[in-house]
Amino acid sequence: MRLFWLEIYKTFSRWRTYIGFGFIALVVILTEVVMKLSAVEIVNRMMRSTQKDFLIFGNVLNGWFVTAFIMNTLHIHIPFLIALVAGDMVSGEATSGTVRFLLIRPPSRVKIIAAKYATTLFYTTGLVIFLGIVCILPGLALFGSGDLIMHHYGKFGIVFIPEAEIPIRMLLAFMAAIWSMMTVASIAFLLSTLVENSIGPIVGTMAVVIVFLVIGNFPFDFFGTLKPYLFTTYMVFWQRFLDNPIPWQEIAKSAAILGLHSLGLFFIAFGTYARKDIKS
Amino acid sequence: MEQSFHKEIVLRTNGLSKRFARRWAVKDLNLEVHRGDVFGFLGPNGAGKSTTIRMILTLLRPTAGSIEIFGKDLHQERGSVLSRVCGIVEKPDFYLYLSAYKNIEILGSMTRSIRRDEIMEALDAVGLKLRAFEKVKTFSHGMKQRLGIAQALLTEPELIILDEPTSGLDPQGMKEVRELIKKLSTEREMTIFLSSHLLSEVELVATRMAVINHGELMVQGDVSKLLEREATEYSIQASPLDAAVKLIGDLPWAKVVSTENGRIEVHVTPGHAPDLNRVLVTHAIDVSSFYPHRTLEDFFLRITEGTSEI
Repeated sequence: MRLFWLEIYKTFSRWRTYIGFGFIALVVILTEVVMKLSAVEIVNRMMRSTQKDFLIFGNVLNGWFVTAFIMNTLHIHIPFLIALVAGDMVSGEATSGTVRFLLIRPPSRVKIIAAKYATTLFYTTGLVIFLGIVCILPGLALFGSGDLIMHHYGKFGIVFIPEAEIPIRMLLAFMAAIWSMMTVASIAFLLSTLVENSIGPIVGTMAVVIVFLVIGNFPFDFFGTLKPYLFTTYMVFWQRFLDNPIPWQEIAKSAAILGLHSLGLFFIAFGTYARKDIKS
Repeated sequence: MEQSFHKEIVLRTNGLSKRFARRWAVKDLNLEVHRGDVFGFLGPNGAGKSTTIRMILTLLRPTAGSIEIFGKDLHQERGSVLSRVCGIVEKPDFYLYLSAYKNIEILGSMTRSIRRDEIMEALDAVGLKLRAFEKVKTFSHGMKQRLGIAQALLTEPELIILDEPTSGLDPQGMKEVRELIKKLSTEREMTIFLSSHLLSEVELVATRMAVINHGELMVQGDVSKLLEREATEYSIQASPLDAAVKLIGDLPWAKVVSTENGRIEVHVTPGHAPDLNRVLVTHAIDVSSFYPHRTLEDFFLRITEGTSEI
């Protein structure tokens, strides 16, 4: 535990750690303000395709809708913010030379690497929770509450979630987002153990995420067959908590696949680093 | 090779070897460091000093051989062994965004719980107490070197391993570090393993030494004995000078090389230096100084150039 807290202290003493929090606060609040100023236009656009078939009353553009909208928009950007810290977690010690002090101490590499991985997950969790807080609280304050009406995930149609159900669904969605982002963090962490500079793991992680997303979205049969094997296919499983009915089986499968990815990546990182010669 | 049987062996390497790709950086190295030694580990750049130190501190895995510290196998009892050892490998690098105090606290806490007064005491010992709460990024190289020694002192290690501790320091900084090393050895009875390519530095502080070249051990033993054995030229200040020169010229085992500035440079057959001093004194010649001309530098160059048979 002592190692974990030392890692937490080191991580949260660096300004780089707060870039992600600053970025999220800025982008989310800016988006919410702009959405507030353009509320009428947004509602008209939202309703354009459904006005002929549905009669919708109430506060459609509410805090919950804004939160879901921002989460959908930012799920590509958050991995970069996570990689910024996770990619530096081990390689940063090599870059700064402090690895030579760190690894000659009594704690084994197993413990050190485990403490660093736990810190990475802690940061990832903190960042996603922060995103949730920054989305929901100002969202509710600016737009008020109400039922959630949005397009059905992956299908044609709309989903209606009564206001009373939304908090628990949002909580589950954010927990799923944390779980997804842990896989991204694990990729950055693994890359961080392999190299001795921080840029490589950060760029490498983003390259993996972007390439996998692109491959997964190409409308060709060949890429279609690859899709089930790409972790990015399951990365947005948090969206399924805003479906009706909630597809629990699919969610469990996605969570299991992502969990296995994270675990596998950690064990590879650990195995690599435990035997690595420190030449820097 | 010189052997000291009366002292406990703190560090021993047995056939220690490390290969990078096809190149042997260290080959079949057998070192012995005794308790209380200031052990100078000498070698030219690229000789394998840092690789050896990295293996001793578990940063590199040996390709072959083993390391024993305090009589325990390092790789089997790593944690308990390293809790009694501290080191600085190459230049001391710290978390620049943290204060000296926090750096020391973090690194020390990895060994055991550290109290505030212990940290301040360690910083005081290296003259950094007044800058304890300043960020390390404002420190000079010399200050970081001293901070490195402070973190090494914090856990009261029995063995300190220093890799080129005066590298990059100005003369004043070098002197301070040398004095600190002597102090640690004499006052705190710590064993110090010190690598350097600055030969004069080892000569000034080390009690025992090993010379390594191309990854292989060339010689190991007491510094004074190794130098004494090598000494063949002496510088003598004597009065009257002419009488001294004439007297030395008559000796079959001594030869005057030159006389300059009131000094006589004399080549003496090994083992006859005490005889020369005795002859001068018994012939009523005042000897105000008599010292060997050979230095560790000459010795080192001869060893590493392969011209000396040890």
